[in-house]
Amino acid sequence: MSEDLLLEIGTEELPAGAVEPALAQLAQGLGERLAEAHLAHGAITTYGTPRRLAVRAAAVAARSPDSVRQALGPSVKAAFGADGAPTKAAVKFAESQGVAVEALRRVETAKGSYLAVERSEPGQPASALLPPLLQALVHAVSFKKAMRWGDVEQTFARPVQWILALHGSEVMPVVFADVRSGRVTHGHRFLSPGPISLRTAGEYLAALERAHVIADVANRRERIRAGVESLAHAVGARVLADPSLLDQVTELVEWPAPVLGSFEARHLDLPNEVLVEEMRSHQRYFSVVDAQGRLVPHFVAVSGTPVHDPALSRRGYERVLRSRLSDGRFFFDQDRKVPLVDRVPALERVVWQGKLGSYAEKVARIRPLAVHLATAAGLGGLREQVDRAALLAKADLTTGMVGEFPELQGIMGREYARASGEPEAVARAIAGHYLPRGASDPVPDEDPGSLVGIADRLDTLAGLFALGKPPTASTDPFGLRRACLGVIRIILGRGYRLSLSAAIDAALGAGRAPAGIAAKLGLSEERAAAVRGELLEFFRGRLKALWADDARADVVDAVLAAGFDDLRSTRARLEAFAQVVGASDFAPLAIAFKRVANIVEKQGSDVAAARVDASVFQDPSEGALSEAAGRAAAEVRRALEAEDAPRALAAARALKGPVDAFFERVLVMTDDRRVRDNRVRLLREVAQVFAPLADMSRIQAEGGR
Amino acid sequence: MTYQDLILALQRYWAERGCVLGQAYDVEVGAGTMAPATFLRALGPEPWNVAYVQPSRRPADGRFGENPNRLFQHHQFQVLLKPAPKNVQELYLGSLKALGIDPLEHDIRFVEDDWEAPTLGAWGLGWEVWCDGMEITQFTYFQQCGGFECRPVSAELTYGLERIAMYLQNVESIFDVTWVKGVSYGEVFHRNEVEMSEYAFRASDPPTLFALFDTYEKECVRLLALGLPIPAYEAALKCSHTFNLLDARGAISVTERAGFIKRVRDNARACAEAYLQTRARLGFPLVKTGWTVGEQPPPLEGARASASWASFAAEAPR
Repeated sequence: MSEDLLLEIGTEELPAGAVEPALAQLAQGLGERLAEAHLAHGAITTYGTPRRLAVRAAAVAARSPDSVRQALGPSVKAAFGADGAPTKAAVKFAESQGVAVEALRRVETAKGSYLAVERSEPGQPASALLPPLLQALVHAVSFKKAMRWGDVEQTFARPVQWILALHGSEVMPVVFADVRSGRVTHGHRFLSPGPISLRTAGEYLAALERAHVIADVANRRERIRAGVESLAHAVGARVLADPSLLDQVTELVEWPAPVLGSFEARHLDLPNEVLVEEMRSHQRYFSVVDAQGRLVPHFVAVSGTPVHDPALSRRGYERVLRSRLSDGRFFFDQDRKVPLVDRVPALERVVWQGKLGSYAEKVARIRPLAVHLATAAGLGGLREQVDRAALLAKADLTTGMVGEFPELQGIMGREYARASGEPEAVARAIAGHYLPRGASDPVPDEDPGSLVGIADRLDTLAGLFALGKPPTASTDPFGLRRACLGVIRIILGRGYRLSLSAAIDAALGAGRAPAGIAAKLGLSEERAAAVRGELLEFFRGRLKALWADDARADVVDAVLAAGFDDLRSTRARLEAFAQVVGASDFAPLAIAFKRVANIVEKQGSDVAAARVDASVFQDPSEGALSEAAGRAAAEVRRALEAEDAPRALAAARALKGPVDAFFERVLVMTDDRRVRDNRVRLLREVAQVFAPLADMSRIQAEGGR
Repeated sequence: MTYQDLILALQRYWAERGCVLGQAYDVEVGAGTMAPATFLRALGPEPWNVAYVQPSRRPADGRFGENPNRLFQHHQFQVLLKPAPKNVQELYLGSLKALGIDPLEHDIRFVEDDWEAPTLGAWGLGWEVWCDGMEITQFTYFQQCGGFECRPVSAELTYGLERIAMYLQNVESIFDVTWVKGVSYGEVFHRNEVEMSEYAFRASDPPTLFALFDTYEKECVRLLALGLPIPAYEAALKCSHTFNLLDARGAISVTERAGFIKRVRDNARACAEAYLQTRARLGFPLVKTGWTVGEQPPPLEGARASASWASFAAEAPR
């Protein structure tokens, strides 16, 4: 009879963030191992709290099915001679399998008839299969940071205290470090101390619930969400949505007990971000806002224990926050005593990156770079704002508040810029230049912050590539992938027409651009050019990753191969292709143009560059194609200049008819060298029509080579 | 509960469980971890269970006695349990009960906290223990110390005495804590804070301090060459404190900072290695005492981690 299988690893309090990845490993690992053991099972479910990681497979079979194992021998053709007698190959195979030649069976495979031996293997009981399987599963769980404990060598995120392993009502013996499995779990540390013995795996959730543990992560998260929300409602407000805080709190408590607290209203004149950060990052309190989204002087803390008298813990929560807010106020008042611009010289003492120097040096580089980008993007009118914003972009790193809350960098810069009487656009740009911080962040909604943001990131990218520190497959300590994606997203999001290579050159300080990374590191021109090449390839890789969901990989590849210096037009070309790539006539078109591309590639080197000579044409299809290619080339050029990629693509596609007619009526590889060369030249012109749009040879289509 | 009753309660609790009651180390340290009763004893295979109050000097935290929460010198109640007992969390929670902190009346939580001390070549994983949102204890499982793997692992419990006292007595300023009936913390230590802050931020003499740093550093090396790791480590601690004084004075630039930290760390590591060698030569004598606190289940797979030191003894030529 099939029964539920349950594995629970009881631990000391796990770090928030360790639970979910471990549960995913357990679920995947259990599924894979059960499949390998040929044990049928139902749904796999995980449960997790700060003190336990559990995985359950429903209805795991009591034994694996009997199976037939087949050993394949020689093909029938090779197994018997002309006389019908078994060959040496057949005899050897039978010997190796320990059976008589006569006992060999014929089986049909995709490759024809073969001789084979089939043996039936009896299934095995789950009680024999599961213990080693669970043993391996427990040992395979890995964490970002693991530790040893006591006098054992094994590691886990925190010490393991107990292991529960039940198949139905039967304990599956498992050993890990200094712990042996059993049927015992534990409830809430304070509310339900003492061991809880389970009769069967199926009792698990209910037993834990009775013992003040909500083991289901989603259920616990929802209870917390609803609980904090209803407390906020009680004061006519709502909780500021914060999914990541909700996740953290969910991984910090087993039996959530939300408590509403307050702080002094006078602190509300601190910047919102400071208040929210004080509450969330240090204390894991939820902020509370009114209907207009303004903070109100309340918070919701989530206790791990519903204590006898919540007023006592509330007093504690409020007291800690009070002292933190007083600290915050102290920093805020102190920081504002110095005008933001006066902090810039102090950046000399803030190291950015060893060889690349201080933040003062970085600022000195990104100022002219941002101004250069503004001019290049046709926003020369913003030069002064951009320069000022770049000058002040990092000044808040020297403030007490950012020292205490690094995550408020930029935000505090904006606040202190306002307090120092800087123009509002400059203040906003200081906060904006850090956007997007991650994939879910928006790009800045104004130009100065966008331009400073691009300059800052290009300086980082150029600097670390020049130092020979590009990210590796597994590590990206300087966040270069994120920086690169940021540049791409800002350029596209703001619709800038910028030359990427020129921008990189400017960051490196090559050519006539202002002195940049190259000067700082004393790069030779050759080295600077090499760095530029590596960086452009890095951008190509990021673009492929970014656009992977928007179009087929080969189409992205083909479009990028035609160049991506102007990201806006590259994106437009990709969208134009993505529109038509699914159409029924696209594959034949791709095949036709791949054929053109292949011929040009193979023959091109033998054929000297020259204009197509109409007098050598022998068939009307040649003249027609030549004329069509000339027209299409001009139209593609005009359409791209007008940033109308769909029209450009349509113009190129119009060549399909003349190309097909050409291939139908003439043979390119004719014996007459003059005629042949002329036809290759004609195809070269055809290929060049597509060249600014995509490298068609990279498109995958049936029939293409 | 007065401040000194708090200390007495913790001392009694841990003494009853079999810890050595140590006395404060009489060389300036920034934390109880740095005292030899923790830093050196956490090394090697020998058991060690100790509890002591450690005055901890952090010159940069001095506030002239004007900040209700920060001090030049605070006091830690330091417990080191080696090997970390299996039930160390339960033992710790028992100590809170001894202070009248009942987990059914207060929100007690173990919140992830990774600890690293670059000047000691040490790191560990554990928690900050929260009582109603306030951190009252650092709870760390040592993984590495002086650059050596901790086998077995020690559990370090560092109670912030002033904070706990403020909480238990429900006062808003450290200086209002009652030390003994009729005498406040401020009356005992306020003037100390004023003068020590004045010294750390204004009156100390950087050229003298730089010279002292060099002197203590050389002294550490010299004593190590004589095979005296315990006094050598004292000199390393002097270096460390001198560095902290210079740092508070703003006398060390950002670029120099890493260099000074490295000099301190190199000496601390050398002391750790020399200490292990002398213990190895003595045959790690405490091993045979079988001294344990709490539950100590044996490993069920593989050898004891501490067994790995057998080869260290053989490899210690000096």
